[in-house]
Amino acid sequence: MGNISDLEALLRPPAMEMPDYPPKAITLASGEVMVVRQVAREEVPTLLEAIYPLLLVERDFYDVVGARLFGELLAYKRFRVKDEYVLAGLIDGVLAGMVNGRLVNEKTGMSYHTLTIRRGLRVGSHLFAAKMEYHIEHCQQEEVLIVAESPIGFRRWMIEYPLEKRFEVQHELGGVPSWVLPKDTYYAAKPRLVSGRRPISEELMKSAQTILLPRQETVVRQVAGEKEG
Amino acid sequence: MKSVYIAGAGMTRFGRSEWPLMQLASVASLAALKHANLGGVPVDGVVVANMGAARINRQTALGSALVDQLALYPAAAESVENGPASGASAVKVGFQAIASGMADVVLVTGVERMRVVNGMEGTDFVASLSHPIAEYIYGVTLPSLAGLFARLFMEKHGVERKHLAMVAIKNHANAAKNPYAHIQQTITMEGILTLPEAVVNNPPIAEPLHMFDCCPVSDGAASLVLVSQEVAAKLKGPKVRLAGMGQATDTHTVHERKDPTDLKSVRIAAEQAFRRAGLKPEDVDVAELHDAFTILEIAESEASGFFPRGEGHKALERGDTQLGGRLPINPSGGLKAKGHPVGATGVAQLVELTWQLRGECGERQVKDAKIAYACNFGGFGNNVVASVLQREA
Amino acid sequence: MSMKVTGMKCSSCGTVSYPTHAVCPSCRNETFETVVIEGEGKVLTYTDVYALAVEYETRYLRLAIVELDDGVRVTGHLLADKPKLGMRVKTTIGTVREMAEGAIQGLQFVAV
Ligand SMILES: [Zn+2]
Repeated sequence: MGNISDLEALLRPPAMEMPDYPPKAITLASGEVMVVRQVAREEVPTLLEAIYPLLLVERDFYDVVGARLFGELLAYKRFRVKDEYVLAGLIDGVLAGMVNGRLVNEKTGMSYHTLTIRRGLRVGSHLFAAKMEYHIEHCQQEEVLIVAESPIGFRRWMIEYPLEKRFEVQHELGGVPSWVLPKDTYYAAKPRLVSGRRPISEELMKSAQTILLPRQETVVRQVAGEKEG
Repeated sequence: MKSVYIAGAGMTRFGRSEWPLMQLASVASLAALKHANLGGVPVDGVVVANMGAARINRQTALGSALVDQLALYPAAAESVENGPASGASAVKVGFQAIASGMADVVLVTGVERMRVVNGMEGTDFVASLSHPIAEYIYGVTLPSLAGLFARLFMEKHGVERKHLAMVAIKNHANAAKNPYAHIQQTITMEGILTLPEAVVNNPPIAEPLHMFDCCPVSDGAASLVLVSQEVAAKLKGPKVRLAGMGQATDTHTVHERKDPTDLKSVRIAAEQAFRRAGLKPEDVDVAELHDAFTILEIAESEASGFFPRGEGHKALERGDTQLGGRLPINPSGGLKAKGHPVGATGVAQLVELTWQLRGECGERQVKDAKIAYACNFGGFGNNVVASVLQREA
Repeated sequence: MSMKVTGMKCSSCGTVSYPTHAVCPSCRNETFETVVIEGEGKVLTYTDVYALAVEYETRYLRLAIVELDDGVRVTGHLLADKPKLGMRVKTTIGTVREMAEGAIQGLQFVAV
């Protein structure tokens, strides 16, 4: 990362060693292949551009999710969050969704956000699962702290896995009482919620090298719903 | 009984809408009125079909509200709530008004705006049509009744999950050719059934039914202009006659039916509709069936008389029900992919068929379609309305 | 927990109906005696349903239609780990739904 000033070093949180997330390929219901891979800091501006049109969309809490995610991504890019990571789902290089989170300490992870752009194909489920996979399998953590901001998220994560209450812990997202996914629950749920193939072909990896943005009207239409009948 | 014609048909795009309830209804109505091109002929009556507005949108007396929106006073106005069969029931009310000679022009509009509540609340609202004591309190939802039905039906007739998937794939492909459809996304057998990822892509909703076996929750409106023969004679454009309608009921609970896999209400409603139209199932060129769940398309295709009992899935396998097949079913995408704004559905089925008979369906047009059939399946089969449409030269 | 699920027995033709109707579906008679719906029977069909109303904090519910040995059919919760069509079960009473007005008791089926 080059040389940084003493003051900058002071402002940055200390960083733990974090393993790379090995990219995987998932064939979706449509037959399209989604590559899930880690997002580098220099790619953050592209993600910000995708989120930007959602910042004022109240429906399904996209404004809250969007604005918080926007801030988290900026902070990741500029080293203002401790041990954050970002994963993206790309179909033919086009951004289908993104997830992020961070490591609280060696044993505990914290899930931040899941934002689906391409809806109706379980992209959000796949990406959320990839995030849990990263914490538990690749970072070898014992548990992941999770909260939901929208009812959809609540049903999906709390009940599908199912998560346990850890209400004495305030989640970093607004201090909401936290839920937790313990390692054992993750492995029990893995057969029905985690999928994908590794390693992925060079050709496929190449297709996912550059993150392409869906058209902005597609983002708003897909994510926020139709403006007209 | 006087003959009844469909002079115009229109709808909104189905999906998620920001429009208020009455705006949806108005847009569809105006589209249908424009399509009918009535000139100066006044609208005598308005019938609005809807299931959930009283609960979800806190609005009642929708017939009067639509007359007001469209400034059609002093036209007669009614609202019809008949569960998921509200749409075709409302069409029947309009049909009766004209057939009896009480009216010459009736606007029938079905509308639903249910995406304002979350999925769980929406599911629970629709579940309120189940038996309050013997079903609802057990957590019975429409998907669960469909799951109970599907397990028994599949066991009995050798229907497999791949057949259900074939219905979904076909209807998604049809919807992709329908600009009014909620879902514009084709799907594959690999993606929803055979690959390991399919476990995640297509999770169970009510075993043996999975996500891609179930229709989406949609907002939307659909509208028809029904006219008497005298009015139809004055109008330009193709003549589509509402040749016959039928309606039949069955027990409130599914478990009380002697053979729960026998859709008796569909059978009786279809027989009535065909008899009144003077036509037979073999005459039909195109059909819209109530595939809120994929299994229902197969079961209704048999009960309506198109295929022998237990052979609907074989017709599907042969490709008979695809666009270009012997009897295309759900060229619009069906409830499965066009969407299911509950009160609008029965009207929307007839909108599609009217367009089909007028040759206005573009890419999804069934060639030379002259006779069409629709099945609007209410409750879980406890109230069914069937319709037969005929194109006159 | 002394709650019982009841149906009606037609005082004219003897048909037992569940749920109740104001008129006997078999003979149109209008007088009945109340009968308790319970006993053994077999699973006619079942489903694991994941599309649930909001008050269920569970991944899925296992619902079944059971045909009791006297021919009466009922819908309820199947409490069996390995459900099968035709499996033998008997009725019990338990909480089937938590609603605003309190816990609702109803039919559950356990393997025999
Ligand atoms: Zn009797």
